Amino acid sequence: MYLVIAGGGRVGAPLASSLVSEGHEVFILDKEESAVDAIQRELGMVASVGDATVLRSLNDAGTARAAAFIAVTDSDADNLAACQLARSNFDVPKTIATVRDPENAELFERVGIDLVVSTTDLVLANLATALPAHPLIRLMPLADRTEELVTLKIPEAGITVGRKLSEVTLPYGASIVLLINSEGRRKNLGEDPEIQAEDEVVALSPTNTTDELWEVLTELR
Amino acid sequence: MNAIIVGSGNVGSRLSRQLTDRGHQVVVLDINADALRNLPRGRVDSGIIQVLVRDGSLSSSLVEAGITNAEALVAATGIDPLNGLIAQKAKEMFNVAKVVTAVKDTALHSMYESMGIETVKRSESVAGQLMQSITGEQD
Repeated sequence: MYLVIAGGGRVGAPLASSLVSEGHEVFILDKEESAVDAIQRELGMVASVGDATVLRSLNDAGTARAAAFIAVTDSDADNLAACQLARSNFDVPKTIATVRDPENAELFERVGIDLVVSTTDLVLANLATALPAHPLIRLMPLADRTEELVTLKIPEAGITVGRKLSEVTLPYGASIVLLINSEGRRKNLGEDPEIQAEDEVVALSPTNTTDELWEVLTELR
Repeated sequence: MNAIIVGSGNVGSRLSRQLTDRGHQVVVLDINADALRNLPRGRVDSGIIQVLVRDGSLSSSLVEAGITNAEALVAATGIDPLNGLIAQKAKEMFNVAKVVTAVKDTALHSMYESMGIETVKRSESVAGQLMQSITGEQD
């Protein structure tokens, strides 16, 4: 299979090696001559200096005959533009990209990148097993168990940390009834307080969306 | 209308002037505080143009700039792929009605156009063209 890779750095170089050892044919584009030199020393003339967001570079790399285009540069913006050019101008059947900023993963998927890998999420997922858990505790069922009162703690690296309460979209019907900071002080919900790490949340939640609420409030950056 | 301009270079600063001339509300973001000095000083001091030293490619920055109530977003950072990412984020993630960008590269230009993002060629007269794209008015 012929594969074009944008970015021959920390991800691209080892990726190219392993694809070659599996019998694939690869070509790597990188803006940096030093990265290209290193790949050429190891794999031969399968890399050149070029900007994968420029049509001519993609063309010279043989993108038109690629079975897949893989964008793994350090720049999310470049990865998106390169994949989109590969798709729109060369009809590459499969586009794959890494994102450094996890929030870009959803955007990339929405605009049609076939496979999106968040490098940050990968690291976090691996680390998460070593981090203290943030369980959800069910305090009290309400209204014939259609609703419940629950409590949970905001993780240090939670995606909601630093956001105002109003900026967090809770599942339909859920509401936060108490927000208590790490010193045990109650925050005034009327002032739209900022969520901080280790805040204790007490929430009223429709029972069938409690899992979703937990995900929203404990998702990691 | 409320407009957000990401990038305070030549294009962003001229455009901010033209839009405020017509009474529109403008928030300008630039990751570089020095670049915000390109903006008309008086209007920044009087709050007619709001400025934020932020990375405009991040959702949190855009939310802070009021994107949920913005009618228009202009991506004018001077880096084509970054403008493309910001414009697509505004359109796909925040449903901004009018998303406009300025790009230099011909291939990216036609690609963004085909996605429904109004794209003008980055050049001398670009602020005027953007102005027309956003408001439908001639400068």
